[in-house]
Order: sequence, then C-alpha cells, then structure tokens
Amino acid sequence: MQTRRSFLKFGAGAAAVGALAPLTASAKSSDIKWDESHEVVIVGSGFAGLAAAVEAGKLGAKDIVVFEKLGVYGGNSTLNAGQACFADTDLQRKLGIKDSAELMVKDQLASGRGYASEELLRHSAELGPYIYQLTKDCGCVYRDHIINTGGTSATRSHQVVERSGAGFIRPMLKTARSYGVKTKTRHKFEGLITAADGSVLGIKVRKGYHTEHEDSGKLINVKAERGVLIATGGFAANVAFRQALDPTLGHEVGHTNARGATGDGLIAMLAEGAMPIHLSFIQSGPWASPDEGGFGYGAGFSLYNFPHSIAIDRNTGMRFMNETADRKHRADLEIQRRDKDGNPHPALLIAPKHEAQKDPSMENVLKYNVAWEFDSVEAIAKHFDLPLKALKQQIEDWNGYVKAGHDPQFGKRMDMSTGIYMTAPFIVQRLWPKVHYCQGGIQINTKAEVIAAKNGKPIPNLYAAGEVSGGVHGVSRLGGCSTPDCMAFGVTAARSMMKA
Amino acid sequence: MSKLTTVLALTFGCLLTLSAQAVEIRDHHKEVIGKDCKTCHDNGIKQFPSDQACLQCHDVDDLAEQTARSEEDKWQNPHNNLHYGKELPCQECHSEHGTKKPLCSNCHTFKYDKHKE
Repeated sequence: MQTRRSFLKFGAGAAAVGALAPLTASAKSSDIKWDESHEVVIVGSGFAGLAAAVEAGKLGAKDIVVFEKLGVYGGNSTLNAGQACFADTDLQRKLGIKDSAELMVKDQLASGRGYASEELLRHSAELGPYIYQLTKDCGCVYRDHIINTGGTSATRSHQVVERSGAGFIRPMLKTARSYGVKTKTRHKFEGLITAADGSVLGIKVRKGYHTEHEDSGKLINVKAERGVLIATGGFAANVAFRQALDPTLGHEVGHTNARGATGDGLIAMLAEGAMPIHLSFIQSGPWASPDEGGFGYGAGFSLYNFPHSIAIDRNTGMRFMNETADRKHRADLEIQRRDKDGNPHPALLIAPKHEAQKDPSMENVLKYNVAWEFDSVEAIAKHFDLPLKALKQQIEDWNGYVKAGHDPQFGKRMDMSTGIYMTAPFIVQRLWPKVHYCQGGIQINTKAEVIAAKNGKPIPNLYAAGEVSGGVHGVSRLGGCSTPDCMAFGVTAARSMMKA
Repeated sequence: MSKLTTVLALTFGCLLTLSAQAVEIRDHHKEVIGKDCKTCHDNGIKQFPSDQACLQCHDVDDLAEQTARSEEDKWQNPHNNLHYGKELPCQECHSEHGTKKPLCSNCHTFKYDKHKE
C-alpha cells in the first residue's frame, strides 16, 4: 500500500514536470543580456550555501556570490537549535561515547525506512570530520554536552554554545566574506537560464525583492561561469504545496521555518526537468510547543528533557510513545492526540525540575509561558483536567523502569535516565508537532549534481545541496543530521564546480 | 544630521495608488524630511527604499547601544540580536507608510514596549 501510494505521488510529480516543461526558455549565452557575471553562483544563505561559499573560497574561486531572497541571511539554518550530528569526535570520546560513521549511517537508514540513500548518507558521514573541523575553523564553538535527538544508537548531536543555528551561520558568513564572497540580500531567485542543450548558463533574479511583494524590485540576468548551486531549503512554509503532498499537514499544523521556505528553488528545478524524489516525506518536529511561534524555546527544553521525562496523553493520563523514538514516529502519535470532538488536544511533557534545571532552556520556557511549574501530580491533573489516578500510576511505573533500566511499555533507551526519577516539583510543556523538514526534493548524486528526470543524467552546471535536495534521508530524518548533511553537500557542490 | 531615537523604515508598497501628498508619514520624519520622497526612496518612488536609506540618518551601533538589555537577555536586543547581529534591516520591523511588528514576534514572545507599529 505504501509503495503504491508513493508511486502515485511520484507519478503526480512527474506529471507536474511534464506540465511545466513547455514554460522553460532555452537560449545561447551570446543572446542573453547579462546584468552580472560571477564565477560561482550560490542561491540561498543557509548551511549549504555558506558551506559552499567557504569551500569555494578555500579552493581559490575569485568571484563567488551568495544570493538571499529575504532581508536577512541564514534562512532556517540560523533559527534552528544549533545541533549537528558527528560520529567519533574528540568530544564524544571525552564523554565516553563510542560511535562511528558506519553506526550513524546505519541509524539513518533505519529511520529512512528503506527509502534513504545509503550512498548519499555514507558520503555525508565520511565528510563529517572535515565538516566538524570546518565549522571550528570558522569560529564555531561547541558546548561540552551532546544531545540525544531520538532514533540513534549513540548520542551524537553536538550543539554550539548559542544553542541556535546562528552559532554556525554568523561565523560562517564572516568567514565567507573574508574570502571575498559577495553576499546579497533581497535578491530573489526567479528561475534558471539554460542553453538549448539543457545546460545551465545562469539565473534570473529579482533584485530589491521584499517578502510578499512579488512585483517589487527588478529582474536581472546573472551569468554563472562555473555553475549554479541551488541551496534554497525546503517548503514547510508553503501550506498549499505541502498539503497537496500530505493532506494531514494543513494550517492546523504550524511550522518552524523561516517565511522564505516556500520551495522556490525546488519548483524552478522541476520546471527545468529535474527529478523530484520523496516529495511527500515531510517531517514534523515532535518537540514543538503550540504556545509559541516557530521553533521558539520549547524545542530546546523538550529536546533536553525527552530522555528522562514522559509524554502524557491528556485523555488517559498515560504515556503513548517512546519519547526518544525517531521524529516521525513521535510526531505521528502526537498529532493523534484529540479531544472528544476531534480537536487537537496537545500532549504534556512532564519533566522533573531537579533535572530540567540543569539546562538553560528551563528558565526560558518558564519565563515566556511555554512551560509551567507544578508542585504535585495533583496540581498537574487539576490544571490540565486529566485522570489523576492513571497519571499517578504511570509515574510510579515509570520510576520502576528507571530503577530497572528497562522500559517494557515502549522500549525506550533508558541509559540516559539512569538515577533520574520523576519527583515533584515538575516542569510541564504542551507538545504539538510543527512541520520542520522536507526529506523530499530534487535528486542529486554524490557530486551534488542535479539529475534530469528525462534521462537520469546530471544537468550540466546545476547543483543542489541541503534541504532542497531529496532522497538522502528517506521517510524520516534523524535530529541533528541535517546540519552536517547540508554542509557536506554544500562543500561537495563547491568541489564539483571547482573540479576539486 | 540628528539621530532619532527609533529606527523607522519607509515603504510605499500598499499605497501605490495614492499620490505622494496622501501617504502617511511619521511625525518626526515630517519634521526632518518634509515632503522630499526621494530622501528615502532611493530606488524610485514606486519601489521600497534600499536597506541603506535609513542609515543615512540612523546609526546601527548607536541604536544597538540604546536598546541594549541586561546580560541575561542581551541577545534580545532588536538592533544586535542572536540570529542576525546588527544585520537586521530596519525595514524588517519598521514601516513608514504602514504598520509592522518586530520580526522576532514571528517566533518569540519578547517584549518590545517601545516599538511603534
């Protein structure tokens, strides 16, 4: 059933490609009036785009440009929790964690449920040590703490001290500029300019663009001497597009993305005949809070506390999932929490204060009313109107699992809750998924080349990296794995363009 | 040039059909700029000003200093914030001819009491 459904969705994607193909325009470079020309053209200023810019600079490119359609740099990358999964690092070894690139790939393949690309995952994981060092060379500083993001055999999500993607983006932006990279905001990518043979010559850009004012600015043609890298991120902010692919993801489900994540780059590449892959595999974050917008503070709090805390269904007063299972598993279960009328009835994350207070996120969620403190189980039950007796029993049972080191209820990894008992006072956050990541996108190979749907071959001079590409993660992406993947393929694209 | 205490960006977007005489202008900008639209509209009257237009009169370092917060909340400073540093263009939070909320409000519940919508 799933296979057939996926085929039908793929078929729809292919039809879209056919429908759009006649709209493209081919030309000879000499026939184009170019307003600008650059050696390397990068569209998007998130992890993938900036990693490519830094790498191209290191490889000696003389004229690199990064275009960003928003008024600010960083896209979603600067808004996230600043985590990146790396295997077998000095920090992991220092903390006594055994890990390897092989184990990381294995975990990701399991999460991808048979659809992830082993070839692409291995390529990314093997570049991991290089990427880890590249970030540090740019000035990124990591915490002495590694986070279990769920679905992993080893704890490997490293986090920058800012606990925000800004801790990567701002140093990388600064480093890119130190290589002479030109960075331009309010430059919206409008489409590819291709030759008769299908190779990419450059791009159309709306210079002076302002969000939601689609006619603002003016159109210019930008020539790319070595190639164009599309690093425009996902489409979680495009409700119509994502709901067409997954009907459960309507307006009822918010998103953690910057407002620019509307799929522009993806749609333009589809129009150019690129191969779409896994577009309906859209991931929601199970750590999100309905009590604040976007990513906010709740995500950081729940990520820290999921390992040693419990998620409670308010109808039953009981757990309903393994709180450190992979994201899709958890998000799918969370979105099913409904009241008797079928309306969203967000679950509760209940964390013991004695452990929650060890992370800076607790102070923030309490201060901004994203979580609340309760002195007793009775107080929680009364406030949220849930069955007290069942909740008490659940907490008693949970403490038994902690003591035994085994969760017979959902098979949760208990090695991160050793000795951490659920005792009052409690910090409680509501949980409701938000669309977070689009596993689907444009097909690429291990050189970050964009693949044409027509013949399965690379489209010359066209590259894609990061969330706009598809096929890497399969059905479900593991937390913290996007950052290194985006950067690895950004670096790969730069190497391809520079023939390195 | 005198430095104004708040950053106010200019936009013409939703008022394209109105004559220059009819567009609303902030009182303190009336006092300083009067009716000279081109002072800000450096991309032409029908386009948004560039992000450099505001900086002809307003200094981002001064603003960051004026809106600085305690060490605990220092990255909530709208003019020197965690995600964008001092590179958040005025027009992302301020509008001359319309209204705008702080960009941070899309995700955070920070208090920006002095912000004029």
